[in-house]
Amino acid sequence: MTYERIMVRFGELSTKGRNKMDFVKLLATNIRRKLGGTFLDFQIETRFDHIYILVNDNDPYAMISELQEVSGINSLTLVTRQEKNIEIIKKIAIEMVKDKAVNTFKVRSKRSDKTFPIVSDEINRTVAKEILRNTSLRVDVVKPDITVGIEVRHEGAYLFLETFKGAGGYPLGIGGRILMMMSGGIDSPVAAYLLMKRGVLVECIHFASPPYTSSAVIDKVSDLLKNLCYYQDTIRLHIVPFTKLQEAIYDNVDSSYAITVMRRMMYRISEKIANIRKCQAIANGESIGQVASQTLRSMRVINEVTNMPVIRPLVTYDKNDIIKIAKKIKTYDISIRPYEDCCTIFKPQNPTTKPNFNSTLWLEEKLDFESLVLEAVNGTKSVIISANSEDL
Amino acid sequence: MIYLDNAATTQPSRALLDIYQRLESDFFANVNSNHQAGRSAEKYLLKARTIILEALTVDASHRAIFVSSATEANNLALKGFALKHQNRGKHIIISNIEHPSVYESVIQLRDQFGFEVTVLHVNHKGQVRPEDVRAALKKTTIIVSIMAVNNEVGSLNPIKEIAAIVHRHSKAVLHVDTTQAIGKISLPYQDIDMFCISGHKINALKGSGALIFKKTIDFLPLLSGGNQEFGFRSSTVSVALAYTLAIATKEAIRDQQKVTTHVASLSSYVRSYFAKQDNIVINSPDSSSPYIFNFSLTDKKASVVVEALSNEGIMISSVSACHQKLATSSYVVKALGRSEELANNTLRISFDKMTKLEDIQAFIEAYEAVIARIRT
Repeated sequence: MTYERIMVRFGELSTKGRNKMDFVKLLATNIRRKLGGTFLDFQIETRFDHIYILVNDNDPYAMISELQEVSGINSLTLVTRQEKNIEIIKKIAIEMVKDKAVNTFKVRSKRSDKTFPIVSDEINRTVAKEILRNTSLRVDVVKPDITVGIEVRHEGAYLFLETFKGAGGYPLGIGGRILMMMSGGIDSPVAAYLLMKRGVLVECIHFASPPYTSSAVIDKVSDLLKNLCYYQDTIRLHIVPFTKLQEAIYDNVDSSYAITVMRRMMYRISEKIANIRKCQAIANGESIGQVASQTLRSMRVINEVTNMPVIRPLVTYDKNDIIKIAKKIKTYDISIRPYEDCCTIFKPQNPTTKPNFNSTLWLEEKLDFESLVLEAVNGTKSVIISANSEDL
Repeated sequence: MIYLDNAATTQPSRALLDIYQRLESDFFANVNSNHQAGRSAEKYLLKARTIILEALTVDASHRAIFVSSATEANNLALKGFALKHQNRGKHIIISNIEHPSVYESVIQLRDQFGFEVTVLHVNHKGQVRPEDVRAALKKTTIIVSIMAVNNEVGSLNPIKEIAAIVHRHSKAVLHVDTTQAIGKISLPYQDIDMFCISGHKINALKGSGALIFKKTIDFLPLLSGGNQEFGFRSSTVSVALAYTLAIATKEAIRDQQKVTTHVASLSSYVRSYFAKQDNIVINSPDSSSPYIFNFSLTDKKASVVVEALSNEGIMISSVSACHQKLATSSYVVKALGRSEELANNTLRISFDKMTKLEDIQAFIEAYEAVIARIRT
């Protein structure tokens, strides 16, 4: 028995009303991009309730396993489409089950095309009777070994046995595009993953301060992003040359305020890159109270430099929960590689947890930060990371 | 690239790589095979053994077996000998600046097998005092293990005196970690009971090494199997690695005087420059190996200097290459009496025959610029 197509069902999308067709189109694009990397010669049919993929000569199971990584898909079913004719439906149903090494079955049908003259209950009984007559299988409606699915729709009757779970969530890109601040630590990859799961297309910004930070940190960030490419095919990474600003801060700003001012500079640069890249928001891995710059008071003083929404997916997470997710998405072991990142260099002994707004402004006036910020933005290099991209 | 990390590893010579490739493709047969191909390969293995022993002028008294590294050689020498001869006594003497492959082996013997270990403290010049060895010797002492040249600071131990004391006053054998000494420093090899060669420290290949020991010595093998290498080290031997190691050893010993004179001039250039600098403390004692120069920074971070120089194509080391990624402090520099802060912040530059004066000048120029530029 061969099934010529894969039926893609989407879950949460169904609630989205009139924008739904846009979502379906986006999901179809994501599916095409995902499958296009591995498979040739397949077709995608987009309908209001489902997407169908014509398998042609490809291995349908290999396709399904790729599709299980695409967010926005609820389930995947290998189906065959037949003429809406009960005799044909009976014949195909028998063909589907006759060689299966199982004992019990049931039939579950659904009739969306109300012009089809046989109601679903009757389809169930007719097909089951035919199977009982032609095979040694028995009916078990409570816990059957296999379920013969039949869906009678406008364009034809679909028959299927197996359903595979999808990744759920929303199609990537539906939530817009965000610029994620990525240090190389444990938190930021987890935050990026949570955003991707929500359908947000993630770009990353990394602040590099050679020689205070090792060039190995860039490799680390790129390895982290490669792991996240499991959820988003390619990720754009912006590497900002941050040394001059760091040095200016070190030379001019009282050490207890160094982190506060440094974070403000990072937001200023991020906002400019986000605007250039048409990202609608900035994101980072902060969670309340984890370090000095992440108290609410610090966040307020730091956040003051931008009007852009700053999304903090981990804001209320405990470290242990973050680590759990990091392990699940396999970024943890990369994150704990022992290189200094831009947050651990210049670490003052006593960073303030209660920065004063006016003091911050007064300290910042001492450095010509606007030209330094622009210089950093202009010097930023962008690379595109994919699962199999070479090392930077 | 300017490469000044030769104590970590050296660049393999082109000629040796060619020999390696030729042997590995033409004489790949297993030396234990009883066919012509096996016997042809074995000839190179026997030749390799002879070349090494003759180069070190110990062919009458010693044997050489091929191992994978100096770490393996030290493990076999210490654990293999101690476990085989523990009935003679269970006391071992080492110094407090030994390489981890010696130190950890002996600690394992102590913690897992009940040996007693005396750790001698070096003086401020990084040297073991022969009288301390004399005082530590007991009836039960079976091994004294003292390195010839320290890998971090280059300090030299008085091996000849120590050998005389050990042999006159005890039945113990003297093991010397000679990894940083072969082809660099003159040593009384005939007086040393067990010592080692690391191929990659003398421009041969990583994965090659030898343990050299008096013919009267035997070990409990650490690797059991087909009884290769006189039964002391089972594992199919790589003829190509053994032979390239032998050629590298021969050449290193042959050129030792010439190269050391050259390196000594580089070393004194570096030392006289750093002697004039503020905010550093020189850790390498005056009388140390010219191949290694170690100092600590007092107000900059060593790892940042290493990174800055590396970004400009100049490779130097901080603390010890094997474990520099973990920002630990140097136990060797601490043993010289330096503070924790200084031991945390060491830089090492190390030379070999390929190092040129221009390299050193370029390094110093870049170093000055980096120190002027970086904060911390």
